[in-house]
Amino acid sequence: MNTNIASLINPCIPVPGEDPRETVSREVRPVPDRYRNSIGKYRIVRLADCVSCGRCEEVCGYGVHTKPEGYALMTRPRDHLCIGPACSEHGRSCLDECPRKALRMRLNPNLECLGDPRWTADLILATWYQAGTGRIPPPHLEYRHGASGGGFDRIRFRFEMERSCRPVEPEIPDPDTGLDLNRRGDGRPQIHIDIPVYGGGMSFGSVSLNTIVAKARAATAWNSFSCTGEGGYPEQLQPYDDHMITQVATGLFGVSEETIKRVRIVEFKYAQGAKPGLGGHLLGDKNTPVVARMRGAVPGTALFSPFPFHSVYSVEDHKKHLDWIKEVNPDCLVSVKVSTPTDVDMVAVGSYYAGAHIIHLDGSYGGTGAAPDIAKKNIAMPIEYAIPKVHKFLGAEGIRHRITLIASGGIRTAYDALKAIALGADGVVIGTAEMIALGCVRCACCESGRGCPRGIASTDPELVTLMDLEWAAQRLINLHNAWRAQMVAVLKTLGMNSIRELRGRADVLCHLASYEHRRPPGENGHPFAHRIEMLLKR
Amino acid sequence: MNTIEKLLATRSQVYPCKEPPPVSKDAEEGGCGVIGAACTVPLAGRVIYEPSLQMQNRGNGKGGGIAAAGLSPDQMGVPRDILRSHYLIQIALLDPACHPELERRFIIPYFDIAASTRQPHIDDYRDIPGLEVRPPEVHRYTVRVKPQVLGEFAERTGLGDLSPRDLEDEFVWRNSFRLNDEYYASLGDKRAFVLSHGRDLLVFKLVGYAEQNVVYYRLEDFRAHAWIAHQRYPTKGRVWHPGGAHPFVGVNEALVHNGDFANYHSVCEYLRQRNIRQQFLTDTEVSAQLFDLWDRVYKYPLEYIIEALAPTTELDFDRLPKEKQAIYRQIQATHIHASPDGPWFFIIARSRPDENRVQLLGITDTSMLRPQVFALSGDGDVRIGLICSEKQGIDATLMSLAKEDMRFCPVADKYWNARGGSSTDGGAFIFTVESGNNGDRSLSCTDKFGHEVRLDCGTVRCDVPAGESAPQELVSYWLLKGNVEALFNHALDLSSWPPAGLVQFCRMVLQVAASAKSTKPVHAAIRLLSMLRDRHFYTGDKRRATVLSVVDRMLEELFDRAPLFGEAAVLCWRRITVETRDRLTVPRASDEILVIDAQGFPPEGDECDAVLLCRAYHLGWRRFIVYRLRGHRFHGSGLGPDTGDVRIDLYGSSGDYAASGMDGLQMYIHGNAQDQVAQIARSGKLVIYGDVGQTFMYGAKGGEVFVLGNAAGRPLINAVGSPRVVINGTCLDFLAESFMAGDPLAGGGFVILNGVEFDGRGRMIFQPTPYPGGNIFSLASGGAIYIRDPHHLLVEQQLNGGELSDLEDPDWELIHPYLIENERLFGIRVSELLTVDGSRREPREVYRRVSAAGLSRKRVMNYDSRFPEIDHRVEKHY
Repeated sequence: MNTNIASLINPCIPVPGEDPRETVSREVRPVPDRYRNSIGKYRIVRLADCVSCGRCEEVCGYGVHTKPEGYALMTRPRDHLCIGPACSEHGRSCLDECPRKALRMRLNPNLECLGDPRWTADLILATWYQAGTGRIPPPHLEYRHGASGGGFDRIRFRFEMERSCRPVEPEIPDPDTGLDLNRRGDGRPQIHIDIPVYGGGMSFGSVSLNTIVAKARAATAWNSFSCTGEGGYPEQLQPYDDHMITQVATGLFGVSEETIKRVRIVEFKYAQGAKPGLGGHLLGDKNTPVVARMRGAVPGTALFSPFPFHSVYSVEDHKKHLDWIKEVNPDCLVSVKVSTPTDVDMVAVGSYYAGAHIIHLDGSYGGTGAAPDIAKKNIAMPIEYAIPKVHKFLGAEGIRHRITLIASGGIRTAYDALKAIALGADGVVIGTAEMIALGCVRCACCESGRGCPRGIASTDPELVTLMDLEWAAQRLINLHNAWRAQMVAVLKTLGMNSIRELRGRADVLCHLASYEHRRPPGENGHPFAHRIEMLLKR
Repeated sequence: MNTIEKLLATRSQVYPCKEPPPVSKDAEEGGCGVIGAACTVPLAGRVIYEPSLQMQNRGNGKGGGIAAAGLSPDQMGVPRDILRSHYLIQIALLDPACHPELERRFIIPYFDIAASTRQPHIDDYRDIPGLEVRPPEVHRYTVRVKPQVLGEFAERTGLGDLSPRDLEDEFVWRNSFRLNDEYYASLGDKRAFVLSHGRDLLVFKLVGYAEQNVVYYRLEDFRAHAWIAHQRYPTKGRVWHPGGAHPFVGVNEALVHNGDFANYHSVCEYLRQRNIRQQFLTDTEVSAQLFDLWDRVYKYPLEYIIEALAPTTELDFDRLPKEKQAIYRQIQATHIHASPDGPWFFIIARSRPDENRVQLLGITDTSMLRPQVFALSGDGDVRIGLICSEKQGIDATLMSLAKEDMRFCPVADKYWNARGGSSTDGGAFIFTVESGNNGDRSLSCTDKFGHEVRLDCGTVRCDVPAGESAPQELVSYWLLKGNVEALFNHALDLSSWPPAGLVQFCRMVLQVAASAKSTKPVHAAIRLLSMLRDRHFYTGDKRRATVLSVVDRMLEELFDRAPLFGEAAVLCWRRITVETRDRLTVPRASDEILVIDAQGFPPEGDECDAVLLCRAYHLGWRRFIVYRLRGHRFHGSGLGPDTGDVRIDLYGSSGDYAASGMDGLQMYIHGNAQDQVAQIARSGKLVIYGDVGQTFMYGAKGGEVFVLGNAAGRPLINAVGSPRVVINGTCLDFLAESFMAGDPLAGGGFVILNGVEFDGRGRMIFQPTPYPGGNIFSLASGGAIYIRDPHHLLVEQQLNGGELSDLEDPDWELIHPYLIENERLFGIRVSELLTVDGSRREPREVYRRVSAAGLSRKRVMNYDSRFPEIDHRVEKHY
C-alpha cells in the first residue's frame, strides 16, 4: 500500500484503487530497527590491539563481528546482536578466542536510561527483538517479566519455579490459541479470533495514521482486531474494517452511524484503567487541523472527553445505550470497556444483563505518557486482582460461559497475557506493547509539544514521516508471531490443547511470596524455563 | 441532653450487639423506573399496572415494589377512625412457618390488635408470566401499642417528653427494627421482614416486576389516594428475596428511588453517628432513614428536608433571599455529609392521618442526572398529580384511567420538569390530597418553597360525544383542495365553538379523507390534525388537554384506515402492525407512506418497530408515520448516512434515542421527545413539537433542530461541528457544555434560545428568565448561543469560559432564516419575538450572543498559520 504524504497525514482522503478488503499475510519477515544504531544489551569494544585476523568472526554465531569481502579491517561490532556472557558458557566466545585479547564486553550504558521497573530495558529490547525477528528472544534478555516487584512480575507459572515437570511430547500438534467472542447465543454472528490478543483503542490524533493502519494490518494478518479509539474512523482503515473495533467513548468524537455500521465489534469505552474518572484529553497541540476535521472540532483547542457518558447514569441507561448501538448495527457484537473499581464485579454482571458480549476490564498498569502519573498509579484496581474477582463472580452468577472477559492494562508480554488468562480472562488487549514494537522508548513525551519524537504517537506532518507503514505493520505481525509461539509452548508444557483450557486455571500459577523462604535471596532465575525455549528453538 | 439526643442515644437499646463495622452496599443499582400518582378520587391498583408494564425496560425483574397511601376504610375492614389512628404493620413472611413465633414475640406482647389479616393472593405465582420467585406471604396487623407498654417504654428510655404519638411512632419503629434484625438482617437465610408499619400506608414488594404485586396480591381493585411503584434494576443477578426492593419506609412514608449514590459510605457514617444502623444495605434504605430522621426526629419542615437532600448551590444560592441563605447555610453545614451524591430521584408517598392528608413528593438531585417528569391534570372533584421517570409512564397511567373513568383525560393539563437544587422551584414538588370535613377532597401542588402550581386552563371539555353531522361543504371543499391553512384558520375559532364542535369537525375531516378518490385530502387531513395537535393556539374556555386527546384519537383513527399489507390498496399508504409485520414488502408504485402501528412492539431489541422501520427503509420505503407510540425507542437510528429523502413522523409517546445518529433525514416528533434525542446527529432536520429530555444532541455534529418547548438538562453537551438549534423554551441547566462547534459565522453551530412558553389557554408568553440555570456554555471552545434576553437577565456568573456580547448584523443575518422557519413550524412570529413590553425593537436590543472567550479563538489563528498548505488541502477534500 503506497501512501503519499497527503493521505499519510490526512485521513479524510480516500485511498484510490484499493481493494475494499485486503488480506495481509502473517508470514514473518525480518525487519530491523529503523535507526542506524540499534540498541543492544551489551557493548563490545574493539581495542586498538586488534589485528583484524577475523578469528572473532569465525567464532561468533550471532553475526556481531564482520569483515566484509575485500575489507582490510573488521567493521564496528554489531553488538546489539551479542548475547553476552552466556556465550562463553556454550563454548567459544570472541573474548576468549581473540588472540590479542582485544575485545571487551560490558553492559550497554544506554540501558541505564532506558525503561523503568515496569517496562525494563530487557523487556523493551526483547519486544524489539520479537518485532524484528518474529522469534522468541534469546535467553540473555528477560522477556517474560518486568522488575516492578508487583503485579504480574510477582506471579509465575509453577513450571517456571519447579524443577520437575511433565516431559513435553514434541510431536503433539500445536494447541489452539483461538477464541470465540460471541457466547451469548443471541443470534448475532460468531466472531473467531486466532490469537487471544487484540489491539487497544488509540485514537487518530493521539497516534499517527501509520500507527493505526499498521495495527489494523497486523490484526488482519492474525485474524484478530484493532480498535479506532474515539478520534474518528479514518478512511484508510476501510480494507481492514472486518478487523476493526470502533469505540463509542464519552466524547462521541468521530462517532457516526457510518462508523458503527462499518465494524463487527463496537466498544463502549466507559473508562480507562490508567485514568478512571478523568475522561480523555487531547492536548491542544495535537489537535491539528486534520485531527480537528475528523472530530469536527476547532483546531488547536484542547479536546475533552467527559469522564462519564452524560447519557448513562445507571445500568438501565447502559442497557439502553447498548440497545441503541445494536439497533444501528444489527450484526455487531458489543464490548464494554470499564476500569476496575472495587465493585467491578457488579459492573460486569450489569453489563452482561445489559446485553454486552465482551466485558473488557482495563486495569491500572497501562496508560501512555498522556495519562497523569498520579492517576496511573493510584486509582484503579490492579488487573491481576480484578480478573479473578470478576471471573469468579460471573461464575457464581452462572453466566461466565455466556460472556467473553477481556483484560488489559499493563499486559506487556506473552507471559502477562497467559497469566491473565490463567487468572480467569478469555483474552487480552494490548496497547503499549505494540507501541514498543514500533520503536517506542517509553520517554513519556507522548503529549508534549508536537508529540512523539519517534513519530508513533503524533500527527505532526513532519514527525509522522519517521515511520514507514510497511515496516510498522511487519513489526507488529512479527510480535504476534513471537507471542503466539510462547503461548503454544506454555500450553504444551501444561499439557493443554487450547488456550481456552487455560482460562481460570489459577492453580498453574504461583506467587513469588510463597517461594521466597525457599530460595536464596537475589536469585531470580527460572530454571525450568530453558526447557520450553529449547523446545521452541527446534 | 434534649429529647432528640436522648431519642437517638437510646436507640442503642434496640441493637443486640456492638456496632459492627460499616458494610458496603449489597448491590449496585441502576436507574430503575419510578412512578407515583396522587388523586382526589381513590385510584384502583390497576393504575399502577400499565405504566409499570411499560417501564419494565427500566427494571430487570429482580425487584418490584408498590406502596399505597390514603386507603379506604371499607376495603380495609376497619372504621375510618381506626384506619387513621392505628398502625398497619405489614410483614413479609418469606418462611411462613416462622409466623406464629414471630407473632408471639413481636406483636402480641406489645400491641392491641384491631385486625389481623392475611393478604389474599392468587394461588400459584407461576400463573403470572415471568414471575420466577414465590412472593412472600403478607400478614397485616392493624394495631396500637398497649398503653402500659408505651408507659414502660417512656420510662425505660426517658422519652416521656415526647408527645404520645411521637413516642408510639418511635416504639413501632424500634420494634420493627428488632424484628428485621431477628428474622432478616442477622440471618443467613432470610425469614421475614417488615414491609411497612405506618398509618394509612401499605407496601408490597417481590422479586419480579412492580405490576406483578398488583396481580399476585390481587390489588387490581384495591383503592388508594396515592400510589407509587418501582421497577428495580439491581446488578447483582441472583436476588432471591424481596427485602432489597423499593419502597422503603420511615414510619408514615414510603420512598422509591431512581439512581445511585456515590457516597453511600459517608451517608451511612452520618447515620451511624446518630445511632441509626442499616439492615438492607441499599441506597434507598438510607434515603428513607434520612427522611425519617429529619422529618420525624428533627421535625424539620419539608423545605429544609429537601434542602438537606439536594442543597442549593452556586448562582441559585446567591439568588435566594438573605434570610433563606442564612438557614440553608446552616442546613448545609450540618447535613452536607448526608446529602446523597450522584444521580438520584426520589418519589415519596406520605400519609398524614392526623391532618387528613396524603402527600406525594418528587425530589430530584442538584445536578438533575436522572430523568423526571411531573404532571398535573383535572379540575374540580377529579384532580390528579403524577410523577414519573418518563412522560410515557404518566401518559400510560392517564390513558388507563381515562379508559375506565370518563372523568379523567388521557392527556395531562400540565407537564413539567423540576430544576434540582434551584432557587426557582427547589427541584421538588409536593402533591397534597386533603380531605375536608364533609368528605370532599382537594389536591394541590406546591414546590419546595410552597409556591403553588396552578392550572389556568379552560374547563370545557371537547372530548364529549358528538352527534353525526353532514360534512360542511366548506370543510370538504378545502380538504379536497388540500388547503390546510384555511381549515386550520377555521379551527382557530375553537374557543367559540360548542363543546362537541371539535369532535364534529374532526369527524368531518376523517369522513372526507376516507371517501376521497385522490391522495391529496389524506395528506391534508394528516397535516391538519397534526397542526391541531402541534400548534399552541387560543382555546378559550376549552380544556387544551381534551383538545389534544380528541386530536390524538382522531389521528389514530385516521391512520387505522390505512390498509394493511395483503389488503386491497387504498390511495397512497400501507399500514403494518405487530401481527402483520412479516408481510412487509417493497413499496409498490402507489405506495408513499408506511404507517407503523407501534402497539405491541417491544420498545427495544431486534423485534422492535425501529428495526422494522430500518428494514422497510432498506426495502425502499422513504416516508414513515409511526403512531400509538408508548415509549418505543430508537426511531430514525440505524438508517445510516445519506438519508436526505427520508421523513419520519412520530405520534404518541416517543421514546429515548429518537433521531440518534440521524444523517440527512427529517423527523417530526408530534409531542414531547424523551432523553438522548439526536445524539451524534450529523445532518438532517428534527422538529419537536414539545419538550425534549436529558442530554439532547449529546455529541452531535450537525443537523437543524427546532424545539417548541423546553430542553431538560445538558442539551448539546460535547457537540461539535455545526448543529443549529432553535429552542423556543429554555433549559434546566448545563446548556452547551463543552460546545466545540467552531465559528457560527463560518459554518459552525449555534443555539437560539427564545425563552417563551404558553399559558394554559395556548397563548404565548415569555418565561420569567430566558435561562434560569447556573451554567451555560461552560468550557465551550466554539459555537455560540443566541439568547433572547432584552432585559439582560443572563449574567456573567452563569458563564464559565464564555463571554457575552451584543448581536452584530452578521449574527442576525445568520439566525434570521432559522427564526423564519421557526415561525413557519410553530407559529411563533419573529415580530412577536422582537416585541418587548409592547414595542418592536431592533434584533440587537433583543438578542445577545454568548460565545467562547477570546483565548481559544486566537489560538486557532496561530495554529492555522502554521500549516496553511495542509489546511487548504483539507478544505478541498472534506
